[in-house]
Amino acid sequence: MDKLIAQYTRSSHQNEFYSEQEQHDLTESHPPLSLKFSLPPIDDSRAFLRAMTDDHSNPSCPIKLAHGTTTLAFRFQGGIIVATDSRATAGNWIASQTVKKVIPVSRLSRGEDKPTDAPTPGLLGTMAGGAADCQYWLRYLSQQCTLHEIRHKRRITVAAASKILANLTYGYKGYGLSMGTMLAGMTPQEGPALYYIDSDGTRLPGNLFCVGSGQTFAYGVLDANYRYDLSEEEALELGRRSILAAMHRDAYSGGFINLYHVKEEGWVHHGFNDMNPIFWKTKLEKGEFSNVTSEL
Amino acid sequence: MTGFDFSNYNRNAALHARGVPLPKATSTGTTIVGCIFDNGVVIAADTRATSGPIVADKNCEKLHYIAPKIWCAGAGTAADTEFTTALISSNVELHSLSTGRDPRVITCMTMLKQHLFRYQGHIGAYLVVAGVDPTGVGLFTVHAHGSTDKLPYVTMGSGSLAAMSVFESTWKPNMNREEAVAICAEAIKAGIFNDLGSGSNVDVCVIENDKPTQLLRNYMKPNERGQKERDYRFPKGTTAYLNQKIISKEDMRKYISVEEASGDPNLMEVDS
Amino acid sequence: MTSLVNQQPHSEAIGYSFSQSTHAPNKQHSFYPYTDNGGSTLGITGADFAILAGDTRSVAGYNINSRYAPKVFKIGGDDETGEGAHILLSVVGFAADGHALKERLDAVVKMYKYQHGKPMSVRACAQRLSTILYQKRFFPYYVHAILAGLDEEGTGALYSYDPVGSYEREQCRAAGSAASLIMPFLDNQVNFKNQYIPGSGEGHALEPKKAGPLPRSTVEQLVRDAFTSAVERHIEVGDGLQMMVITANGIEEIYTPLKQD
Repeated sequence: MDKLIAQYTRSSHQNEFYSEQEQHDLTESHPPLSLKFSLPPIDDSRAFLRAMTDDHSNPSCPIKLAHGTTTLAFRFQGGIIVATDSRATAGNWIASQTVKKVIPVSRLSRGEDKPTDAPTPGLLGTMAGGAADCQYWLRYLSQQCTLHEIRHKRRITVAAASKILANLTYGYKGYGLSMGTMLAGMTPQEGPALYYIDSDGTRLPGNLFCVGSGQTFAYGVLDANYRYDLSEEEALELGRRSILAAMHRDAYSGGFINLYHVKEEGWVHHGFNDMNPIFWKTKLEKGEFSNVTSEL
Repeated sequence: MTGFDFSNYNRNAALHARGVPLPKATSTGTTIVGCIFDNGVVIAADTRATSGPIVADKNCEKLHYIAPKIWCAGAGTAADTEFTTALISSNVELHSLSTGRDPRVITCMTMLKQHLFRYQGHIGAYLVVAGVDPTGVGLFTVHAHGSTDKLPYVTMGSGSLAAMSVFESTWKPNMNREEAVAICAEAIKAGIFNDLGSGSNVDVCVIENDKPTQLLRNYMKPNERGQKERDYRFPKGTTAYLNQKIISKEDMRKYISVEEASGDPNLMEVDS
Repeated sequence: MTSLVNQQPHSEAIGYSFSQSTHAPNKQHSFYPYTDNGGSTLGITGADFAILAGDTRSVAGYNINSRYAPKVFKIGGDDETGEGAHILLSVVGFAADGHALKERLDAVVKMYKYQHGKPMSVRACAQRLSTILYQKRFFPYYVHAILAGLDEEGTGALYSYDPVGSYEREQCRAAGSAASLIMPFLDNQVNFKNQYIPGSGEGHALEPKKAGPLPRSTVEQLVRDAFTSAVERHIEVGDGLQMMVITANGIEEIYTPLKQD
């Protein structure tokens, strides 16, 4: 009852104009990636968000967010392999087949700044779950990493970067963020380091992770063929083959295979290739995928 | 009529309760109207059938035959209007045979309402029944739950308000055939343009005393499909394939008769 | 991916999923601040231009609110006519949210010009729009936005967004209620998906048809054909087609009538 009174006693025009904060956002020359979010004017904003956007508990929700993925990363003697598919789904609709799910973290090492073949220093983050959540918070993380670089005159460790992200997601626990991300990088202090962070607040270091709706299919291939002393060639091929298996069996994964190799000097991109010719080559030339018939 | 088969009912109700959506029925989100005139009655309908927001059929027929001088316009679930009118048509025919008289519109309307009432609205048929019989001109509406109305001009379906606005503003008593056809077509057009559930063409049926019934299919076509600006024919060999198997005409002749087609063999069927 | 977050058994997330959670949530919420105003938008880029188009019908349920309610807006113009703008924004979904979003982005782009003395680049504007959308992550704008302009090299640039701000630069994109009708057509006719060069080889050697930037006249024809087709099969699309073409010479607006049924 008090709530009801409070709701109806506030002046009806108080939100008529831009608030000071909003005016500030508009006029500031470099608006920060803010931690202030507007909430719906009701008691249970979480339930509202769930009703509007969670297509798992409510398949006919009005706002369908981009979802779905297979991503993997593993450590081996030559560094870290990071591989992803490129499909984004909104409900049953394939929203895009060309999503870049590997996101370079730290501004100084963003791929677009120098398009050379030489390794680019910095961390790599992967994107699974809500596309917007991953893009926004990895960008926020980039900002924090860059600030760290400027303040301390050395690059941030993967452990520290992953902790920033994990603390962040833990702080928003229960608000409905959806992300399962891996951070991969090599620093002089740590060597090759790989962390898994998700929106529950989990943060795990490890050798090998697969994340997303196609994770089980990728684990199947990856676990069977993984060794720490894989050669670089073998490791890249294993990453590619694991993603291919997931794309083949998981309806929410597909499109292009995005491959990265993290080395001591930085990360190297190994292509963004259409899965279809790769699949048919694998089938017809190597004789795998014999479950698929090509005979009439 | 043996009735409906309910053997999947409990299974489907259980699935629905667990969140499986029911399959979408094609509904004729529709405008249908009827209007009497000095020597008979006119009914008219649009020709759009929808499935949710998608147009399932651009030129469907919503005017159904009951007897030579009794016709029905149907709105609601497409299958229900189709089968209900077909069933009542048969029963009306049998009834007329056993009585040796021409069927009456009110008989047909009573059979429809009793049938629909029995199913408590689960048969989603909303109908306009019209015709002439030895007692005169008849025009009724029948709702899915079994209620009926008898009026000089009627509209039904999602476009009924748009169509009724035409009748309420321009209808007058004792119209002749031409005036009645014109006002009905105008009412349907109001539905076509102002109701998203209705669209495409106008179908009209005129039932007159002492004259054969006229079904004016596509009486108006105010929504002709435009020309495409580009040519979307693909050159032969555009589609990749894994394997091919060629079945010759000679092989096929063993099982069926084959006729030589005339015209350009490179053209697809849709090009005609 | 939802399966991962909700800790549901994996098999629940794929295929014909029976939602197990019916006993708890799925309650009716009385607070429903959105309406779907229907309609569709479409953007395609070329070597030195970008086209953003949208139908002009506004819908609520089975009713037509307006036969001319534009969905494509000029951003960063000098006056209310949008004269001097160099960026285009289309919004489809809930029109009120779309309008609020357009006003907001327009203000941001104008402030940028006053403070920096130069127009905002499309890349910067695209990133800013993403953060504006994400700012309402917990009370989303119910819109699917597309942003178009020319990049630093003068080639057409197109960015598409989901309701909470995930974005991507693309060659072409359809959004709104008829997106599922138009997008497959675009995949085939703009990116030449599933098209191969006849006789270029057998088996693996058969070469896919290479996609490249299309000339402006072709793109305009594709846009009109896409919409005249969508009008035939989607009840919420119709009345008029508003096409905005952005080139180095500015923005040109072309209006074509569509069927009104």
